[in-house]
Amino acid sequence: MQITTAKAEIEHLAASGTDVALATDGVQPYARVRGIEAPSPPWDRTKYDILIAIPIAYDLGTGLDGFYVALPYSFDSGEHNRVNGQVVTLDNHQWKAVSWHYPDGKEFRIGTDNIESHIIHCRGFFLARGAVNGRV
Amino acid sequence: MAEFSLRIPAADWTRLRTHCAPSFRGRRDRETGAIGLLGKRTIAGNLRELIVAQMLWPGPGDVLAAPHSALTFTSRYLRRAHIAVRKAGLPGLVTFHTHPLAKSEVDFSWYDDEQDPLLLNNLQELWPGTLLSSVVLGEASQKGRLWRSPTQRLMASNLITIGESVRYLPLDGRPPKPAPDAAEIFDRASALTGSGALALLSRSTIAVVGASGTGSLVCELLARAGCKRILLIDHDFVKLVNLNRILYATSDDAVHHRPKAEVLKRGIEALGLGCEVVPIVGSILENAVLERLNEADLLFGCVDKDYPRMLLCKYAYQHTVPYIDVGAEIGGDKEGIVSADTRTNYVAPGRWCLRCTGLVSPRRLAFESLTAPERRRKIALGYSDDLMIRQPAVMDLNMRAASAGVMLLRHLLQPFLRTPVPVTLAENLVTYNLKPVASARNRNEACDICQVNPHAGFGDCGETIGLAPEVASALLAVDEEKSSGACFELQKR
Repeated sequence: MQITTAKAEIEHLAASGTDVALATDGVQPYARVRGIEAPSPPWDRTKYDILIAIPIAYDLGTGLDGFYVALPYSFDSGEHNRVNGQVVTLDNHQWKAVSWHYPDGKEFRIGTDNIESHIIHCRGFFLARGAVNGRV
Repeated sequence: MAEFSLRIPAADWTRLRTHCAPSFRGRRDRETGAIGLLGKRTIAGNLRELIVAQMLWPGPGDVLAAPHSALTFTSRYLRRAHIAVRKAGLPGLVTFHTHPLAKSEVDFSWYDDEQDPLLLNNLQELWPGTLLSSVVLGEASQKGRLWRSPTQRLMASNLITIGESVRYLPLDGRPPKPAPDAAEIFDRASALTGSGALALLSRSTIAVVGASGTGSLVCELLARAGCKRILLIDHDFVKLVNLNRILYATSDDAVHHRPKAEVLKRGIEALGLGCEVVPIVGSILENAVLERLNEADLLFGCVDKDYPRMLLCKYAYQHTVPYIDVGAEIGGDKEGIVSADTRTNYVAPGRWCLRCTGLVSPRRLAFESLTAPERRRKIALGYSDDLMIRQPAVMDLNMRAASAGVMLLRHLLQPFLRTPVPVTLAENLVTYNLKPVASARNRNEACDICQVNPHAGFGDCGETIGLAPEVASALLAVDEEKSSGACFELQKR
């Protein structure tokens, strides 16, 4: 089994204008998304690259959860308290895991949600809700 | 002469027999028929079985028939079937037609013998390599064959219907032998009588995936029930912590890190019951290992992870093979044990997959299919602690699960249970509650595994199900890390 569904979704998104590509670290696939918009301030720039880990069983019906943000970054001239995970190096960049999960009762819906909707979910981190979380 | 079997979902077989029933209402009734698309199961490139992947039921004018006259499938109907075969990448098609005068035994007519090679010739002119199988139906019997070329013919041995039960119908033109009395399904000697559940077991190869606590007991029960051959798949080695539950495993096996599958082969074959155990020391996640399931007539899943369960599900629907999944779980909290559960699920065409039943959790499946470093990073974030907890396992509980699973197998081969097989048969030993769960908790009418699987019945012609070896190894690395940890931790509730 290959990650055919994820590949097809990424190709479709790329063809429709989203700057996204498939990347791998060994055999672990990721969707690398460039240019996620962010208000500056509080963020130190207006666009960020993110990395989404894709489970190898994605075709069998798994959800997506969380993402990585490209380093370096700053939020309110410091760190965002949800950018608290480990660091991975991929494509000569460092990426830090962000604890950004679906709320209870609004989980990733298999068969309805996909990489595109997860990118939208991740985008929320850089907007109002993420900013509120970052200042708590 | 080489032989092969033909698999078909029970619902399709029932509908086909209903569709053809008018042929047998009186002496002047006409022939009826239908065309199916074929998938296949091969072993090392050699054809083992054909599968009816899809029936193309005839529309008005697709079949021409008159009393006392041979049936004709119109070229329009045949062309539609052949185009569908080519589009799907399937090997060929199967024609079913009746002989209304065949009340007991049935055979092909001289007309069939003349027409089948001509039809194959036409099909192969359009698409070289197309296979043509033909089945003639009598009122109480059926006979089948396969044409590889206009001169090369294979006779079919069995028609295997998979659904709420597993039926082996002879395809030799003779009516099936009557099943023995229900009581005989518990008598090992009746394996020799040539009919019934135990006779079928004595000719079957059953794949048991997982050779640990439950898997070892399932093997023992199968061997003592008269199973001819067990394919035993497990990548793991015996450790000291396994000795409380793996049958035939010794401390010496643990010290020498002997593969669980080989240890079990040694124990089972030493019983002298005539059951051959073929150990496959590899992970079912690997495609090369998964392909070995083509040798099996039925699958037993005795694993404790969701990823292998889903791959087995996918395989079962793609190959029209029955799959029994069994499991045992002890749950507890700081106060003590809150549950000691066993569970049996049966997966087959027309039934819900383990994702729809709610047994497989998408969240757990996602977690299990991340590589070791990615999983570690997930764990470091929190929110995944529950997915890493190791559950205790004991032989007494494993026995309940293995026993229920093998009893279900006996029922499938010769039905004796008084209610339909539930979606899940769940037992809670803390409350002494045995519960048949009748509904699928996460049922999805659009499920691409069990409801609208585009490759159902395709067999080897469907998509590749397993993983490349390097991908499987990357996922298994986490298990190796876990194995070096503590044995007993109760599940937090």
